[in-house]
Amino acid sequence: MSFSRRNFLIATSVAAAGSTVLSACSSGDAGGSGGTPSAGATEYTGAKVTVGTAADSTGPAPEIPGAKKGGTIYGLAPDDFSHLDPQRIYYAYNSTVALLLHRCLTGYKIDASGKQKLVGDLATDTGKASDDNKTWTFTLKEGLKWEDGSELTVEDVRHGFERSWAPFITEGADYAQRALTGKGGDWRDAYEGPYKGKHLDSIVIDKAKRTITFKLAESKPDFNFTLAMHSYAAVPVKMDTKEKYDKKPVASGPYKIKAHTTDKSMVLIRNKHWDPKTDSIRNAYPDGFEFRFGIETLDGVDRLIASQGDDAYGVSIYKGVPAERIQKVLTDPELKKRTFNGLLTGTYFYWINTKRVTDLKVRQALIHAWPLQQIRQIYGGPSAGDFATSVLSPDIIGYEKTDVYNKLKKPQGDPAAAKKLLKEAGKLGQKIVYAFPNDPTYNKTKVVIENALKAAGFTPVIKPLESTAYYDQVQQIDNSYDVMWGGWSPDWPTAYTMIQPLLDGDAIGNGKNNVSQTDVDWINEGIKKNAVIPDQQEAGKAWAALDKRIMEEVAPMIPETYQRRFYVYGNKVGGAQFDPNFSATLLYKTFVKA
Amino acid sequence: MFRFLVRRILGAAVILLIISALVFVLFYAAPRDPARIACGKVCTPETLELVRKNLAISDPLPVQYWEWLKGLFVGRDYSSFGHCNAPCLGYSFQSREPVLDTILDRFPTTISLSLGAAVVFLTFGVGTGMLAAVKQGKALDKIASSASLIASSMQIYVVGVFATYLLVDQLHLLDRASYTPFTDNPGKWFSGLLVPWLVLSLIFTANYTRMTRSQMVESLSQDYVRTARAKGLSSRTVFFRFAWRGAMGPIVTIFGLDLGVLLGGAIITESTFSLQGLGMLSVKAVQNNDLPMLLGVVLVAAGAIVVFNIIVDTVYALIDPRVRLA
Amino acid sequence: MSTPFLSVRDLKVHFSTEDGIVKAVDGLSFDLEKGKTLGIVGESGSGKSVTNMAILGLHDPRNTALDGEILLDDKELISATEKELERLRGNKMSMIFQDALASLSPYHTIGTQIGETYRKHTGCSKKEARTRAIEMLRRVGIPQPDVRVDDYPHQFSGGMRQRAMIAMALVCDPELLIADEPTTALDVTVQAQIMDLLKDLQQEFGTAIIFITHDLGVIADIADDVLVMYGGRCVERGTKKEVLRAPQHPYTLGLLGSMPSLDGPVDVPLSPIPGSPPSLLNPPSGCRFHPRCTFADKVAGNRCSGERPLLEVVDGRGAACHLTPEQKRELFSDYAAARTH
Repeated sequence: MSFSRRNFLIATSVAAAGSTVLSACSSGDAGGSGGTPSAGATEYTGAKVTVGTAADSTGPAPEIPGAKKGGTIYGLAPDDFSHLDPQRIYYAYNSTVALLLHRCLTGYKIDASGKQKLVGDLATDTGKASDDNKTWTFTLKEGLKWEDGSELTVEDVRHGFERSWAPFITEGADYAQRALTGKGGDWRDAYEGPYKGKHLDSIVIDKAKRTITFKLAESKPDFNFTLAMHSYAAVPVKMDTKEKYDKKPVASGPYKIKAHTTDKSMVLIRNKHWDPKTDSIRNAYPDGFEFRFGIETLDGVDRLIASQGDDAYGVSIYKGVPAERIQKVLTDPELKKRTFNGLLTGTYFYWINTKRVTDLKVRQALIHAWPLQQIRQIYGGPSAGDFATSVLSPDIIGYEKTDVYNKLKKPQGDPAAAKKLLKEAGKLGQKIVYAFPNDPTYNKTKVVIENALKAAGFTPVIKPLESTAYYDQVQQIDNSYDVMWGGWSPDWPTAYTMIQPLLDGDAIGNGKNNVSQTDVDWINEGIKKNAVIPDQQEAGKAWAALDKRIMEEVAPMIPETYQRRFYVYGNKVGGAQFDPNFSATLLYKTFVKA
Repeated sequence: MFRFLVRRILGAAVILLIISALVFVLFYAAPRDPARIACGKVCTPETLELVRKNLAISDPLPVQYWEWLKGLFVGRDYSSFGHCNAPCLGYSFQSREPVLDTILDRFPTTISLSLGAAVVFLTFGVGTGMLAAVKQGKALDKIASSASLIASSMQIYVVGVFATYLLVDQLHLLDRASYTPFTDNPGKWFSGLLVPWLVLSLIFTANYTRMTRSQMVESLSQDYVRTARAKGLSSRTVFFRFAWRGAMGPIVTIFGLDLGVLLGGAIITESTFSLQGLGMLSVKAVQNNDLPMLLGVVLVAAGAIVVFNIIVDTVYALIDPRVRLA
Repeated sequence: MSTPFLSVRDLKVHFSTEDGIVKAVDGLSFDLEKGKTLGIVGESGSGKSVTNMAILGLHDPRNTALDGEILLDDKELISATEKELERLRGNKMSMIFQDALASLSPYHTIGTQIGETYRKHTGCSKKEARTRAIEMLRRVGIPQPDVRVDDYPHQFSGGMRQRAMIAMALVCDPELLIADEPTTALDVTVQAQIMDLLKDLQQEFGTAIIFITHDLGVIADIADDVLVMYGGRCVERGTKKEVLRAPQHPYTLGLLGSMPSLDGPVDVPLSPIPGSPPSLLNPPSGCRFHPRCTFADKVAGNRCSGERPLLEVVDGRGAACHLTPEQKRELFSDYAAARTH
């Protein structure tokens, strides 16, 4: 799971794609029509993630009732994909197409209700861990081929990891590199990359047995989740064109690139050498996909609503229904049938700078004071999302709803409780500098925030920051802001991916994500301890406890919302459902209706 | 004339140079780091340095600017992109395509949009303005004047969406906005741009109506117009050969400047209709911290304005013999 | 008695404005014979230009009401159609305007502007029109006319522009020429040249000229008859000699007094007529000049403010004033005497 686009895109995503009005959580057949089971159909409160078995990993993917092969699905989007080379893929948007082209050792098998299982994709299962979760071994399925018909081997899988060291690859994830070298941020120093003929010692392959073994420097019980990231997809050693691979990668998934005009269009056609029997995840009903870029969000939604010509076969790849259209979409019964919705991965919150706001009571007072309801109203009301109450988001394994500060009962803010705490701390009238990206939505929320702070006895100072450089500014450790708008999406649904980058003392620094600069011993230790609990369900419980304790005893951030997005699709599209990992349309389940 | 052109073109070059330097400085004055785009979510200083090298932004600012300038004239070699022939505007940080290619690819969209709209708004704007001037004070004049006032207060993104909804989605009268190269299919080129042309024209038409009306009214009250009538010339001749000739100068001036600006990218129109022209390119370049693309687009946009300034001055001199080119 | 070449009878030109009706010309009559020059004198706003615009039909029909009779060679002009007027303008009757720079189109060459009048009325070719333009330029004394014909007005000097203007007005040998302060903007030498030119041309073609000016010196030079206008009405008329030597209206007297005399003593101060021209929207009652008239109190029974003095013309001579001839003789000579001291 990945963050949407980092930096500015998350800053503007609420305005651009946030949804509004009405109770989103509609029931029944909101998704498809004519008996087509469809995701987003039920109340969506986060993906339930479990780890699947070898049987779950065996293809083909379960048939979708009513679906048939053939036709073309048209994907509309404002922007082209920024990368196609899997090792350079991190942003969720790029992953939406990567799901059709690239395959990793593991992947998520998603059912019609949005529940997902981690299963083997290239691998026969989710891997065997040994040696205290330091050694992970995967066996490749049989019959795996590249788009030219050549065999996809363990060498190709290994190559996908080793390529990460190439100097031209800077965009991808680095979890595996760190784990494989044990050198933390200096992982590049440990290996020069595959292009001079050397291989990583920490990856061992056996061609005959089709196995690949990772020898990690540290215990990583959730390493098989890490491997589902497209940054770790396989790349054919013999067809690696290095820098140029980004423009024309070789497909292992059900589709391959037929044509691509940057920023304009991309045409995908069937990869004949993809064998559905090797793939338990992807359905691949359409004969092809045609992506059309440069269609701005509102225009795209209007086209899908109108469903004329090719647009009837259209989906919005990534952008949800914007606030301007949500009313129309949800109140028109015919249209509403053509929607699905889901919660974005991750949490929106406000960092409290604990180096500046040192008094716990003041931080707690801030949480009490915060006007969640008014803020959500600006985003568009209940359909725009659910209130967040802690750091973890609902799709994290082990997530437990807690409400330490009574925010669900008093979402409009509790100035009395806040004032009382401030008085106790002797800080009545304390100045609070609130920083946020200078864009229309946050310029509206700042007003209700300012009012709430005043009502609670603070002296607010409002500080809008240039939105394209917002994160760069708040990620300076010597910044002069007390409370900072922010959001974080985990890379896979275990709590480590949220708590560690946001709250580990090691993650404090310029350009790093522990913006609250929380450095508490028991949190740091708790992260280390929980990270090595082998069973993910067990680990989940420990993380949930840590999550609650952080809110109670440190209060380093003000949780705001888990945001919801609505999608609309053309009237001849079937099987459209929410992709809980990448917050997008799950393309490989769509089909063309008769 | 020749000296005039040489002088103005040299002046234009200096202006563009200053603008490019300004963009460079302003871009880096903002607290943002384009390298962060291509650096993963967990961005280490080492990786960041690597990205800077790949994007050719690791040198100090003046050196970067010099390299960029040099690239314009002699081409440039990039470690990650390879050689880029002169005139080299660099590679986009975002799409990693050559900036010049991208701009050349988008320019026809903007040119088609601007020129097509210009034909519409000139025809209607000047036409109704003239009519209003002739019918000064009469019902037609009042209708034209108030209609143009209303039209000029409309917003493209509102009118555009409404026009698409009504004319395309509901009534199926016109085609949805899209760009097809003229050389591919002139019919589709025309039908795809018709709605944007009309919508973009709406606002401009209003301006030109008002401007033409007031210029014509003023021109019609000129002594030489009276003289022309005293000579026995017909009202039609007087109107077009004398009054219009006098009103043309200011209109041509504004038109030239408008066209220059439009050719730099009609940002709102392009985004309303999802037309991928220079306007959208510049918006996205800003959003993506894409310095080379931003520089390229700004240069082209500024170039269009500067060139049209020269054209305006030349045309003005053709219209009005009192103006000398020097 | 035969009909005069130009005959204006009880001409009224009324403009409707937002504030009301402006009676710019309010009952004006005069005649003009061929080969003669009528000088019309008056302050700005007295109606002299309006009268002539009305003769040519150049008034704005949207806000102007014409009444009375204008007969040009027995052709009634007030009721003439625009097309008929177009045929006459620049052809049978033409006009020279005051400010040649503003009145010539800056966008066309001198030759074009002269030639197009000729083409319009003769239907000749462009080439013939050009030849005619050169000929006209030569006739009005432009040096190197075959070269200067392609110049634009701004390339001419002030005097040359006015000559070009005259050339344009005369290109179709008009029978009536209206010259609206054609020399005001020019220096004295050039002024004299232009006047000579007009006189020569008149002799050659027998043109009837209406010469509008506020300068009595110019009148003395060129006019045969003089018509003095005040507040949209004629207050005095007669031959040049009669009006200038023995004015019969206090206003004319005042005009003469306000004129620097070339042959009089140099140190005599100018004595402009006190007060300002009357509002034509709301003109003074009775004699329109009475608020400014030095002698208004000499007439018994407030007649000057109560009763409009009639213009009684005998043998082309007359003045609209309530003063008796005796009073005038006495009062006017005193006035002249006072002035020379």
